Amino acid sequence: MRLELAATVQRGRFTLQLEGIVTSGACGVFGPSGCGKSSLLGLLAGLVRPARGRVVLDGEVLDDIAAGLHVPTHRRRIGVVFQQGHLLPHLDVQANLRYGERLLALADRRVGFPEVVALLDLAGLLDRRSATLSGGERQRVALGRALLCSPRLLLLDEPLAALDGGLKKSILPYLRRAREAFDLPMLHVSHDLPELLHTCDDLLLLADGRIAAHGPLAAIASDIRLLPLLHEAGLVNVLRGTVAQLRPEDGITEVLLEGGATVQCPLRPDPVGTRLELLLRPGDIALAVQPVSGLSLQNQLAGTVRAVTSASDRVLVAVDVGQELLVEVTARTITQLGIVPGRPVGVLFKAMSVTGRN
Amino acid sequence: MLSPAEREIVLLSLQVAGTALLLMAVPGIAMGWLLARCRFPGKTLVDAAVHLPLVLPPVVTGWVLLMACSRQAPLGRVLDDWFGIRLVFDWKGAVLAAAVMGFPLLVRAVRLAIELIDRDTERAAATCGAPPWRVFATVTLPLAAPGILAGLVLAFARCLGEFGATITIAGNIPGQSRTLPLAIWQYTQTPDGDGMVWRLVTFSVIISLVALAISAWMSRRLGARLGAG
Repeated sequence: MRLELAATVQRGRFTLQLEGIVTSGACGVFGPSGCGKSSLLGLLAGLVRPARGRVVLDGEVLDDIAAGLHVPTHRRRIGVVFQQGHLLPHLDVQANLRYGERLLALADRRVGFPEVVALLDLAGLLDRRSATLSGGERQRVALGRALLCSPRLLLLDEPLAALDGGLKKSILPYLRRAREAFDLPMLHVSHDLPELLHTCDDLLLLADGRIAAHGPLAAIASDIRLLPLLHEAGLVNVLRGTVAQLRPEDGITEVLLEGGATVQCPLRPDPVGTRLELLLRPGDIALAVQPVSGLSLQNQLAGTVRAVTSASDRVLVAVDVGQELLVEVTARTITQLGIVPGRPVGVLFKAMSVTGRN
Repeated sequence: MLSPAEREIVLLSLQVAGTALLLMAVPGIAMGWLLARCRFPGKTLVDAAVHLPLVLPPVVTGWVLLMACSRQAPLGRVLDDWFGIRLVFDWKGAVLAAAVMGFPLLVRAVRLAIELIDRDTERAAATCGAPPWRVFATVTLPLAAPGILAGLVLAFARCLGEFGATITIAGNIPGQSRTLPLAIWQYTQTPDGDGMVWRLVTFSVIISLVALAISAWMSRRLGARLGAG
């Protein structure tokens, strides 16, 4: 996907000024609420007209206000999965899935019905009324319907936001599977950074109605000016590793991180050797300049300070522990402990503050 | 069971109300959709014009129609000269009166039903590649169907009961414009008419009940399709 944006969207008093070229296979759009995430998707889907400017996708002009050009939604071949699914309540699941497929010429149907049904485990739902589906089932059907439109770009508008935590986790793998199976360019909007890090390669950070940054997370996080923005978007550390040891008697799973350190997290059913992602909020981590004992904090990792970023009352410290870890502390801590880039420090956090996922 | 005179009255009533309903169904649904979904200059005026017959005394509506459709008026002359249609003192005039009086009830019901449909559901259909007319036919219309049905029943009932506008434009001519309400009124003015009044009132009640039963049955079927029943 190559998206050229030079457009202004006016929504009441809010102005969204989009300038830039986005090239990505799967791009996660995030930012604080009200930053224009959904307006961006509306613009691409043709549901929102720009006040000024141009939108070009893979060389095709979708909007050009100066030239009076606006490709209507139904001619864009851009699939959308909405937060609430928006299935057609008077049709059963099968008819919903085939709604867009039936409108395509045979030659344009690149996604097969049986494949989608198998991929999203929909076989048992086909005869159900769409109004009787649970939230998770509804979103799977909505995803299947969008896939069967054989879109050239798939837009996901907070597709998991209406689901509760457990359900979210069960749907995430479907999103990832769909992406891998059909090699479909994707723009995934969410306020949940961990969710995006699971499905996307790149991130697009929106703030104050503008594109604040675009690129892989590592690149965005290394730009210290963006740290406060990242933080506001629900910044979370994602550490990658494999299960090293199970200690059911302590209720602990030990995970060996890429980069060598070992982290303890609450016991999980995954066997030794399973690859895991560990989520850890910057505010749940403490810093120490010498080894500490006699604390209930199970995890103490040694690292080196990479960067210190302060924004108003908040300070974010990037610490290299083999992988980069962001730590939020108060300004007082920085001066008291003398935290400066290059200084070796220990990072401390409770096992309970770590969430693991496959 | 029915005397020839009674049969003439009942059949004429059904013919007038049925024809009026057929005439207004498509424009009524289109107008309801227009008012629910579109913004255009003069919308308030159109809205008011559609609803005028609801608030005007029916006799006034009838008189306006009479003025517009008589041979002396341009519209009446065009209808007569070009199409051979005479509305004044004719059953077709009764149809026009009934349709004009029933129209706002249909439009209101359709508008309400369409306004209740989540626009995002229609937008979702558009993102699947459905052009606007297809979204209307496959999403809006089926979802609004119960409301549209209710509007049709209401309008049909209004047509059956139409009196003031009908008598003003079409008169009270047996076989032409003497529908059930006019006949009932006629017999209340006649000595010894009580027996006929009772019988005609009974027919009115039966027709209304049957219409209600049909609409209840259809809305139950629609409701089941929508997953709500």
